Amino acid sequence: MDIILATIINGILMGSVYGLTALGLTLIFGVMKVINFAHGSFLMAAMFLTYYLFRLTGIDPYLGLVITLPLLFAFGYFTQQVLIRPVFKIERDVREPISVLMLTAGLWIFMDAFALALFGAFYKTIRTSYKGAVIHLGDVTISLSRLYAFLTTVILAILFYLFLKKTRLGQAIRATGQDRDAARLMGINIDRIYNVAFGIGIAIVGVAGAVLLPFYYVHPVVGVVFDIRAFIVVVLGGLGSIPGALLGGVIIGVVESFGAQFMTATWTEGIIYAMFISVLFLKPEGLFGFKAEW
Amino acid sequence: MRKIVTSFILIVAFGVALMMWGTSATAFAADVVIGNILPLSGPVAPIGKVGREIREMAVEEINAAGGIKSMGGAKLKMIYADSRGDPKVAMTEAERLITAEKVTCITGAYQSAVTYPSTEVAERYKIPYIVPVSVRDAITERGFKYTFRVAAKASWYARDQINFIKALGERTGLMPKKLAFVFENTDWGTSTAEGWRKLAKEGGFEVVLDEPYPANAPDLTPVVLKIKRAKPDFILFVSYIADATLLMNTIAEHEVDVMGMISSGGGHSDPQLIPNTGKNSFYHFDACEWEADLNRPGLKETNKKFKERYGYNISPEAANVYGSMYVLKDALERAGSSDPEKLREALAKTNYTKGPGMIVPYEKISFDAEGQNPQAQLVVVQIRQMPDGSIERCTVYPWAVARAGYEPIFPMPSWKWRKANGRAE
Repeated sequence: MDIILATIINGILMGSVYGLTALGLTLIFGVMKVINFAHGSFLMAAMFLTYYLFRLTGIDPYLGLVITLPLLFAFGYFTQQVLIRPVFKIERDVREPISVLMLTAGLWIFMDAFALALFGAFYKTIRTSYKGAVIHLGDVTISLSRLYAFLTTVILAILFYLFLKKTRLGQAIRATGQDRDAARLMGINIDRIYNVAFGIGIAIVGVAGAVLLPFYYVHPVVGVVFDIRAFIVVVLGGLGSIPGALLGGVIIGVVESFGAQFMTATWTEGIIYAMFISVLFLKPEGLFGFKAEW
Repeated sequence: MRKIVTSFILIVAFGVALMMWGTSATAFAADVVIGNILPLSGPVAPIGKVGREIREMAVEEINAAGGIKSMGGAKLKMIYADSRGDPKVAMTEAERLITAEKVTCITGAYQSAVTYPSTEVAERYKIPYIVPVSVRDAITERGFKYTFRVAAKASWYARDQINFIKALGERTGLMPKKLAFVFENTDWGTSTAEGWRKLAKEGGFEVVLDEPYPANAPDLTPVVLKIKRAKPDFILFVSYIADATLLMNTIAEHEVDVMGMISSGGGHSDPQLIPNTGKNSFYHFDACEWEADLNRPGLKETNKKFKERYGYNISPEAANVYGSMYVLKDALERAGSSDPEKLREALAKTNYTKGPGMIVPYEKISFDAEGQNPQAQLVVVQIRQMPDGSIERCTVYPWAVARAGYEPIFPMPSWKWRKANGRAE
């Protein structure tokens, strides 16, 4: 019985990380209507950044956020400004621009290959002071690094929600997401909002990278592992929905963890994809997709 | 006229002498041409490179020691053909080596998928083909007369792992009863697990968990919790490096106490595993083809020589190649001829028990009717902390080749004790 409880707790903890990786994806889609295929590669870049910061200076991944977040925000901001915007301009009048999709897919392959050339194909891990540390609740063991990841996700989600609801910039982002043309008519600088949204999306991925690293490994194609999960989570929760991304992540996490106790892990993988397809089939807007998501 | 006759006779005599000298040269010291098919380019080119280096070293030694004595000191001459890891290329190259280069024997080709069809070509032309290491079972199960494999078959991994568990139980008096199978869910994992199932049943073990998992799963905690719930005595793994790392660290985190764990090479033999799991890897058993610390005469010196020359240790593949080269030399000595048919007969009667080639962990190298070395087996290493604090793979089984002074630590200590005593991360 305790093990069952442990699996549910693990599912929630790991699911929150899936939600966190999906958050940036869903934000960028919500605002720009662009699916960022290079999402996992940005996660990989964030993990390498965190990794080398730790290896070279010994700064803990969580503290390192002070340095990595501005860097990743700038990285996202200028990727959108320099690479995506010119392509976007050509398809200005299309609601869901296809060539931008192709561009991000190309960026994904480029970044992964570049990282492979730069860092080599080795799997790298770090040793923080809390690596392997656990809390015992009876027979249930809770991994400390995962608990930190969960708490960080919750705090980040609340801050992000408040930012979107309360600040002027947040409101402008939401307005752009709801209706691009109306927002422009209200005097919002759409290009700048896009840059900022992309920057924030990548910065959130940076948080995901930082919380993952203490219990995960980093590798040039580590993004792919989480990419697929992030896409499933986003579809499940509803494309563009912020609470949907988090809840979707937790649902996937719990199904994966709990389900594996009654069937093989190979089958749970199948169940997750079956859920993905049935949601697309029965409720294409996602479980928590609302007409106006914000 | 006399002058012309004399000079004619002289010329003829000179010509005959020249011919005699020429034939005697071919008869007494002609090279034996050996064809070698290796992946010298493509994704596994690094392995092909090591394969070539170890062949060069072995052949140099053989030639320097006087070549093939029964053939008047004939030298071995190596010709390398690049398979690019492509079965079709390897088949053409085998054909070229046989028809154009007139080789006496072929060796190669590392990848099973390449060895399988290229041995077929050699069989058709009746040219002996020595396979140092290609694991696919079927390579020596086709009734071929010209294919000879030195190393173990893939299915012998399962056999030797189960044998090891039994031997360990008998030696310590603590026989594990409940086994858990945890393996990546593609070809490699599932075929190994098939062998485990059959052998566990025959050996009277109870299988409490039979778990195929996707190697690219982002989280393997569910699998680890499942192992914990099943309470096995011994866990058997087939994993790649990423999943091996996650499993090992998560098992430590959730303190899954078992008597022992054994894996099947692959990710667990990867040099990145120990740096990525650190102390969590202590006491783990891994079945593999070969290890540099095997207790074999001459191994240390050979490895040292190789390392000085090329900068790294002999690899498991290379060890078998080195052994194969000496088996070839031994067969040529007995054949006394570079005729492929005579060499085949000599190879079939091989009984190689001592000599420089015995750096392999087998009692001897011989070949059964299908050309398989029936003595081939795997070794089991245990990951251990050395007195100087470093972490090493230490050969513990078969008992005869174990590192001197090292007994397996079994059962492995509990995680609570390990964490309290600095034996876990």
